[in-house]
Amino acid sequence: MIRGLAFAVALGLLESSGAAQQQRAPGSGMLLPATLVEAGRIERLERWMRAVARHVPGEQDAAFVEIAGWPNDNLKPLFVDASALVQTIGHAGVNAGATMTVRPAGQKTALRVRYSTEQYHRLQVLACAAGGRMLEKECWQIKAVDELDPELRQIAVLARASYLRGDRNYLVRRAAIVHSDVAMLAPGSMVAPGSVGRPAAGAVERFRMEISDGQELDLHQSAVHWEIARMLLDFVRPRGSDRADPGHDDMVRQWYRATAAWMQLKEDHDKIHLEHARELFPSDPDILFLAACQRETYAGAPIQTAVKSAFLPAGVVIDVASDRAELRDAEAFFRRSLDVRSDFAEARLRYGRVLDRLGKHVEAAAELRKAIGGLTDRQMLYYGGMFLGAAEETLGNRDAARVGYEQSAELYPMAQSPLLALSQLARHSGDRGAALRAIDRLFALPPEERNEQDDPWWWYYVSQGRDADVLLDVMQRPYRSEVLQ
Amino acid sequence: MRRALAGLAALALLGASGAAQQSPAFSSKIEAVRVDALVTDNGQPVLGLRPADFEVVDNGVTQTVDLVSFDEIPLNVILALDMSDSVAGDRLSQLRAAGGRLLESLHKEDQAALVSFSHEVRLAAKLTGDVAAVRSALGESHGTGTTSLIDGAYAGLMIGESDAGRALLIVFSDGVDTSSWLRADAVLDTAKRADVVVYGVSVVSRLKPEFLRDLTSLTGGRLFEIEKTANLPATFLGILEEFRHRYLVSYTPKGVAKDGWHKLDVRVKNRRATIKARPGYLAGS
Repeated sequence: MIRGLAFAVALGLLESSGAAQQQRAPGSGMLLPATLVEAGRIERLERWMRAVARHVPGEQDAAFVEIAGWPNDNLKPLFVDASALVQTIGHAGVNAGATMTVRPAGQKTALRVRYSTEQYHRLQVLACAAGGRMLEKECWQIKAVDELDPELRQIAVLARASYLRGDRNYLVRRAAIVHSDVAMLAPGSMVAPGSVGRPAAGAVERFRMEISDGQELDLHQSAVHWEIARMLLDFVRPRGSDRADPGHDDMVRQWYRATAAWMQLKEDHDKIHLEHARELFPSDPDILFLAACQRETYAGAPIQTAVKSAFLPAGVVIDVASDRAELRDAEAFFRRSLDVRSDFAEARLRYGRVLDRLGKHVEAAAELRKAIGGLTDRQMLYYGGMFLGAAEETLGNRDAARVGYEQSAELYPMAQSPLLALSQLARHSGDRGAALRAIDRLFALPPEERNEQDDPWWWYYVSQGRDADVLLDVMQRPYRSEVLQ
Repeated sequence: MRRALAGLAALALLGASGAAQQSPAFSSKIEAVRVDALVTDNGQPVLGLRPADFEVVDNGVTQTVDLVSFDEIPLNVILALDMSDSVAGDRLSQLRAAGGRLLESLHKEDQAALVSFSHEVRLAAKLTGDVAAVRSALGESHGTGTTSLIDGAYAGLMIGESDAGRALLIVFSDGVDTSSWLRADAVLDTAKRADVVVYGVSVVSRLKPEFLRDLTSLTGGRLFEIEKTANLPATFLGILEEFRHRYLVSYTPKGVAKDGWHKLDVRVKNRRATIKARPGYLAGS
């Protein structure tokens, strides 16, 4: 089934224009007055911590179900409290202060919260356990161990074991995986009630538009699981580092690559996700490739038409630019990816197509020929034939164009696009007989044997994510052990 | 993925039913040009016109009209119908009903064909005088997938080109293109070369049906933008009736180049009339 064609698509939306104006305001980075944390939040944070430790990555276990069932009204405070927890882990018993500052990704306005003395004490105790530092002086001083039940003690042991192996991120990595698992495996939980409009200052909020066949189906608030996961990973301290530096952590890189590939495979687009990935990994060819693919997809008809047809509340704008602007971004990202890895044939293939769409046909044809020379995958070779054919056709090289289309037709004999291209090419050349013969080849395809997989063109915009399951598995595998029993 | 439309053709023979049974002649030479023209006065068809009543100007050169036919040439009616996800339930029923009513209204000598398109373009019924077969195929069509409107329109044009008969292509879509391989401008180029009149029916939305607008304009047809598909049967029948009221004006070009774009201007002499015809054609193709 081609989900990208037949099923709803979710687009990440920009914050409302009100928030956007705040981002542009002079002296951005403003702090709001601290708000008091209401009762019960630390208890929820503790439940979350236990669920995180119990979750087996990739599985829809009880812990997964619990977190997937939390409404957005719980997740938004959790975003703040989880951030406070990992900040406290970083300080490990040192008084980080009961007033915490949290800044959701993509927003300049920070949120400040103040915990009561009791709340903050419990937060410190949980941080000692989650950080695997129960034996250290700061945690002894607050007698953290005396306040842990057997389950939290086991979490502390697991976190300690990870710490001793050099990974101080036991909770953070697992929590990010839980939330990304929920976002990927329980899409229903991502639909949150609430109006779409101007978000509260400093609050983390996301909106999503569901689209199908280029038309808006629904616009709604989105649960902030991705936002929580990204926020947590921003605190990752790579092996040997005393400070958060996620841009030098391979698990974080794998997480972004795998989840971004998944998003593109499922057409669950989110620009902020890859923008943040590029900030962390500005020279990673795979991240740059996926960012470029996303922009190329945004330039495609399914998303462009949906954006143009959308009914949006006042003040809400969708973070999708014109097709040419998106293509120019795609061109730049593909170019940078190829600068890093010149033998990245799939990136070069798409780069060639983007150049062609931007009207740079000579350059496109050259890049496509070079790309085809490095491709072995049948599907990629099909695209190569089609795209090179199109570029050559535009350049007036009809024989070369015909060769490209015919090669694609041979690779996928049931595909309709090469036959349409051959017919139209012949008709444009004034050869109506050849045009009719080509279209007859299409009409002669046995209907009972045709299916959704016939024509790779139909899933071009998701094909870059075809390895998502493998990438996710590789990323998650190390975290399937040392799970709280 | 978007763009514009199409025009005319050039055949050695005027399409009569006899010609339709011959092997298609794919000569690249222009021996005669035929132009489908709707002549109205205050919205009412003007009937009874003869060759001498018409004036055709081809690239600025006035031509001698050889022949004018009216309602006596069998039609090749090609239905190219959107069968994407959005066409389901009541809308599909209404579309089937509209197609069925149109097919019932064809004359015995007429032929019909059915192209269905979602992301997949399918010849559901080839061009045939067996209207029942086409109706049967229509009944079996169902909505699924995305919209390859441009690819579907191209397939319809090519069916029109496959037979020397007088071709009417009716394209219905309730959306815009999201998955075609072919570009709109390429298909519009084909339409300029084809002797097919395209009528489009689209459902009103925030997105303008630019491709259908251009395609119908270039071929001398018309675009109907309807609010509700409940009116679809009446719309389809209206298209057929209007098409039957068109004149087929034929002339042999003289004093003009054999290749390239020919701008056409069709007029009626000595009386007030509104003419709807294609604005030109690509010769040498």
